[in-house]
Amino acid sequence: MAISDIYTEGIASGWKVIDAANLNSAQTLEADVAIIGSGAGGGVTAEILSLAGLKVVLIEEGALRTSDSFKDMDEARAYRELYQEAATRATSDGAISVLQGRTVGGTTTVNWTSSFRTPAPTLQHWAAQHEVVGHSVAEMKPWFEKMEERLSIAPWDTAPNANNSVLKRGCDALGWESHVIPRNVKGCWDSGYCGFGCPVNAKQSMLVSTIPVALQHGATLVHRLRVRQLQHAAGKITGAVGEALSSDGRTPSGVAVTIRARHFIAAGGAINTPALLLRSQLPDPHQLLGKRTLIHPVVLTLATMPERIDPFYGTPQSIASDHFQWKDGATGAMGYKIEVPPIFAGLGSAVLNVFGEALRKEIAALPYTNSLLALLRDGFVAQSEGGSVRLAADGSPILDYDLTDYVWDGARRAYLSMVEAQFAAGAKQVRPGHLDAPYYASWNEARQAIKELPMKKFRASLFTAHLMGGCGMSENATRGVVNSRGTHHQIANLSVMDGSVFPTSIGANPQLSIYALSAQNASALAQELRR
Amino acid sequence: MTIESNALARRDFLKVGAGFSLALTLAGTLGALSGCGEAAKLPAKSYAFLQEGDLQLFSALAPAVVIDLLPLDAAQRSARIGDLLRNLDGTLSTLDLAARQELRKLLDLLAVAPLRYLLTGVGAWNQASIESLQAFLARWRSSRFATFNAGGNVLVKLISASYYVLPASWPASGYPGPLAHMYKAVNA
Repeated sequence: MAISDIYTEGIASGWKVIDAANLNSAQTLEADVAIIGSGAGGGVTAEILSLAGLKVVLIEEGALRTSDSFKDMDEARAYRELYQEAATRATSDGAISVLQGRTVGGTTTVNWTSSFRTPAPTLQHWAAQHEVVGHSVAEMKPWFEKMEERLSIAPWDTAPNANNSVLKRGCDALGWESHVIPRNVKGCWDSGYCGFGCPVNAKQSMLVSTIPVALQHGATLVHRLRVRQLQHAAGKITGAVGEALSSDGRTPSGVAVTIRARHFIAAGGAINTPALLLRSQLPDPHQLLGKRTLIHPVVLTLATMPERIDPFYGTPQSIASDHFQWKDGATGAMGYKIEVPPIFAGLGSAVLNVFGEALRKEIAALPYTNSLLALLRDGFVAQSEGGSVRLAADGSPILDYDLTDYVWDGARRAYLSMVEAQFAAGAKQVRPGHLDAPYYASWNEARQAIKELPMKKFRASLFTAHLMGGCGMSENATRGVVNSRGTHHQIANLSVMDGSVFPTSIGANPQLSIYALSAQNASALAQELRR
Repeated sequence: MTIESNALARRDFLKVGAGFSLALTLAGTLGALSGCGEAAKLPAKSYAFLQEGDLQLFSALAPAVVIDLLPLDAAQRSARIGDLLRNLDGTLSTLDLAARQELRKLLDLLAVAPLRYLLTGVGAWNQASIESLQAFLARWRSSRFATFNAGGNVLVKLISASYYVLPASWPASGYPGPLAHMYKAVNA
């Protein structure tokens, strides 16, 4: 069956889509609003502002890739074409792997579709501890509802795959809370290929939802264009300077692109947005920019199950457990959400992180392998201030992130919870993703051993797929880079609309938090700009 | 070749675990002495990131990490490693500056024969036994110095991930390939 890739027809019907790799000479683009970054924040903002009648230019550093190029359902192609640094991005010391999108639609094009509302304790913590206004549970409710309707977000109504069933079974056996994950899909094939770009456009990523509507309403999309700098004078952004990338998507072609607009929106995500603002040397009187980068540090465990799991097939995430998330309140011992990752052989082998005979055996057991992961909820207490973004000599971003004893304690407890759940679900053997942990044959053996594991970088495998903070919001200019509406405290015509405004991590996969907050703030901005 | 059991002790004595920089200063000096100039610093022909020395390193380490390569005949093995190296090169060419520089430090360090021998117990890459290469990886990964852990992890992961994305490796991982009915439908 032929799947329309949406863009071929759209472009034929007059959508303004510019591949900067095809530009031969310097350009100047003019718009009411320039949005830098086309992920969750940029996509939603582009739709809302375009529908409000504003002239929008949406800029993306990655390339435009559509369902036509997702049809191979191939792991290597996906990493190379759709992810930051081909899915090998990491913190500066290499200790934490960073999975982040780099394509039109940003991470929404490659994420696993989990769509949670911002938990109430998180919103309450922001108001109470970070002087955030306008985003209470009651005030956010209509925006969650709006974005849930817009992106067809609903709890997954099909049985979980074998991989997610392990978590459900484990939680049930232990009497732990678990729930069905809401997903942003329409006509989903339950295939498991969300991470490689949805080949049937079922996932309601920005690529297939908001950006097409923005384009229908006159927005211009420019891809393979890297914005180097925002120029500013007298408390105002006066323009943006970009460099066109060549067809390799990396090397500047030498063609400069200048963008003029009344208002600028940074939406590159919590690594690239702080980096853009740092490169631009914007005022930062309280040294807050690029600080408090929160990442939901992830640790995981691996189980060999008696039944076939095929962890590559089926909806990647459908069951989660918050049993350990708010147990000690928002500011007690570190909380974590337990979920299930899909495992394909390529990235999966790196997750196994073994070699020789061990790798041969473990990779051969992949069809029987289940993994659980814990998203550690960082940024809620003084012992968990997150990391920071700084610049390399060429202006590219560098993420530093260290783990305190508080975080390591959370990681160790997460190992214990996940291993207990896997054994309760019938696992034959389980091991934490840790260099010093062999497979354990029983929960009792595992419990003793995990208590002794040295919790250190490189010994414990660490991951993140959720980048937040770095341009935190607060009404108090000494505490936030932007105010609660996302407006920069020192620069009136600059807003930040992405996960970098979050004052803490979310405590759940952040896409719906970014959608709803951006929808709310972009709607307010649209009214302001139309006045 | 046999492993020098005292290489570990000597390595610890050098205290290079605080970072590769000290060892690299040494590598630079040794490189200059042995006549390795800037000419050696270009990517190998038809590669974007990997240099000749890196190709030797990864070609030697590949079957130590992925032992599925060992039973293959020489022609098959070299073709498979070639695919692995091209994948790896494609990945590494996308790295941002900071990561590129860190990895380059590691690879440059391992390219200098005397230092390599001291730090890894491995002489010439193409003459090293699988056992000696695996012993090197195991030692680095069990070292009390985080820097060696980092180096051992990154070498293993780059090789295994670059190999197990190859369709030729799917029988070994039990991945049947793209979900058949969907693949057929979207490619019809």
